[in-house]
Amino acid sequence: MKISPDKNAGNSLWKDARRRLMRNRAAVASLIFLVIMLLACFVLPLFPCIANPNATDLDNIAAACSLQHPFGTDQLGRDLLARVLYGGRISLLVGIVATVVAFIIGLIYGLFSGYVGGRTDVLMMRTVDVLFALPFIVLVIVFSLSIEEPSQHLTAWVVEHTGWSRESVAPVLGLVPLFIAIGALGWLTLARIVRTQTLAIKSQEYVLAARSLGLSHWRILFGHIAPNLLGTVVVYTTLAVPGIMLTESTLSFIGLGVRAPNSSWGTLIKEGADRMEATPELLIFPALFFCLTLLALNFLGDGLRDAIDPKSSKD
Amino acid sequence: MTRLLLKRLLQGVLVVVVLQTITFFLVRLLPGNPFLGERKLPQHVMEQLNSLYGLDKSAWVQYLNYWKGIILHGDFGPSLVREGVQVSDIIAQSFPVSLWLGVLGMGIAVCIGIPAGMLAAWWRNRWPDALIMLVAMAGICIPAFVVAPVFGITLGMHVPGLSVAGWDNPLCAVLPALTLGLINAAYIARLTRGGMAEVLSADYIRTARAKGVGAGRLLFVHALRSGLLPAVSYLGPAFAALITGSFVVETCFQVPGMGLHFVNATTDRDYFLIQGLVFCYGVLIVLANLVVDLVLVALNPQLRSQGAA
Repeated sequence: MKISPDKNAGNSLWKDARRRLMRNRAAVASLIFLVIMLLACFVLPLFPCIANPNATDLDNIAAACSLQHPFGTDQLGRDLLARVLYGGRISLLVGIVATVVAFIIGLIYGLFSGYVGGRTDVLMMRTVDVLFALPFIVLVIVFSLSIEEPSQHLTAWVVEHTGWSRESVAPVLGLVPLFIAIGALGWLTLARIVRTQTLAIKSQEYVLAARSLGLSHWRILFGHIAPNLLGTVVVYTTLAVPGIMLTESTLSFIGLGVRAPNSSWGTLIKEGADRMEATPELLIFPALFFCLTLLALNFLGDGLRDAIDPKSSKD
Repeated sequence: MTRLLLKRLLQGVLVVVVLQTITFFLVRLLPGNPFLGERKLPQHVMEQLNSLYGLDKSAWVQYLNYWKGIILHGDFGPSLVREGVQVSDIIAQSFPVSLWLGVLGMGIAVCIGIPAGMLAAWWRNRWPDALIMLVAMAGICIPAFVVAPVFGITLGMHVPGLSVAGWDNPLCAVLPALTLGLINAAYIARLTRGGMAEVLSADYIRTARAKGVGAGRLLFVHALRSGLLPAVSYLGPAFAALITGSFVVETCFQVPGMGLHFVNATTDRDYFLIQGLVFCYGVLIVLANLVVDLVLVALNPQLRSQGAA
């Protein structure tokens, strides 16, 4: 085979995929929306124009929208805009980190299962089948509560060894049980996808070449197989994010997820739902932010999947 | 066919055992214990309570005793928090409530989702399709815990007869079931559309059309059977999703079902009640998946000849 000297002659898989994605208006709009949302939740609160989400303004309790409080205030006079942005920070953080945890577990499990093959593969996949049949949310609840104590030890350890103040690390480290519990139970679909891809790539000539050159299994797996399936897997991972965010907010809503002083969109919606007769804004704003983010994540995930894997498209 | 059934049953038993084992050891790791009530109990009372319920034995002994109780006597142990109440009594009261709610919700989901999906597939890529899919996407993105309070305040307050909380008359089931049903209808509609759209573009449908088969007969007789496959295979997971939804819906509408008991039991650290309820959830999900498998085999002759899938 002769390689054409003209670089623009052929389109790579990724170039094609990007072109297909850019043509999908819903996906592009979702991408822009998500970038704005991430900036709003993580960067905007650094500026002084956003109030402290826990500071109470007792002159303005349950106030309506105004210049000082664009979304109004809650029953304790806390600025709702600030609370929604800080809540989004926690919700997005849990969504992203738990997905990364699920991604890592699923990737390693699927790679191993597909590469080793044979009986090990059958056993590992049967295990996934069994785990699939378990009621996910029930286990997440029990698991996240049961690792609360070890994670408090973790907080103490971090405070002791890094010199950071407890106030600065506790809010993030308090989320560790949620990261682990949701991630540790959300990797099943990913493991299946990784395994199928591994099986397909394993029989390619370049893997055979690598093997006949005497490369170690380790290098074949992570140097040759993993990079080639990463793209597809990352796409399916983005499809998992909305589900994971929904799990987090469901837990927070029933009071078993994010706790005070932290708040996520789930806890804000809970607070809003309790007072929606008097002040419907308290429900409307967090719910709007949450639903729009999920919507954008779904559209983007669908668009990415259609772009990279047009055959699996539902249309 | 019998082999498939046996295989699935065996797998189901395995699922329940694994689930029960994981839960058993996880609940023992929960911080706190069931006897930490309003006032602190003296040390010797605590020890007495622990030995009364057998919680002072090693975890393995407790684990074996627990299974012995279930298999020999069908006994899930006492509730540790509500004195004198057996876990099996709580389940006997709350299970029918949750089941009824689940069946109603599933019924609503199927009755709305499948016709909507069929309509969308029939008018594929035209405005009814776009409209239905937009509504379905919204249904997927608006979680139960937003729908429930909104229904409570709009329908519950203004439609006479409907109640927003409790479980004392049959109309109490309307709002919770509607909430559960609409959310699952969205998923079912999307899957039905996908399946039907694929079938409707198949050669045999074109042939039937060319022979002059009418729209109704084409949709319901020729396409429906294989077009429904994706939606039917989702019904197993959908049942699990109904359970997830039931935590939220039962909390919002104060319905005394298993979800509400489960949430309370985890906050109270009522070990035996958590285990008993998880057992029930496991059995329910296994049965739901089994039924779905059988329906799939009935719909898809290819699976029947394979015998195992």
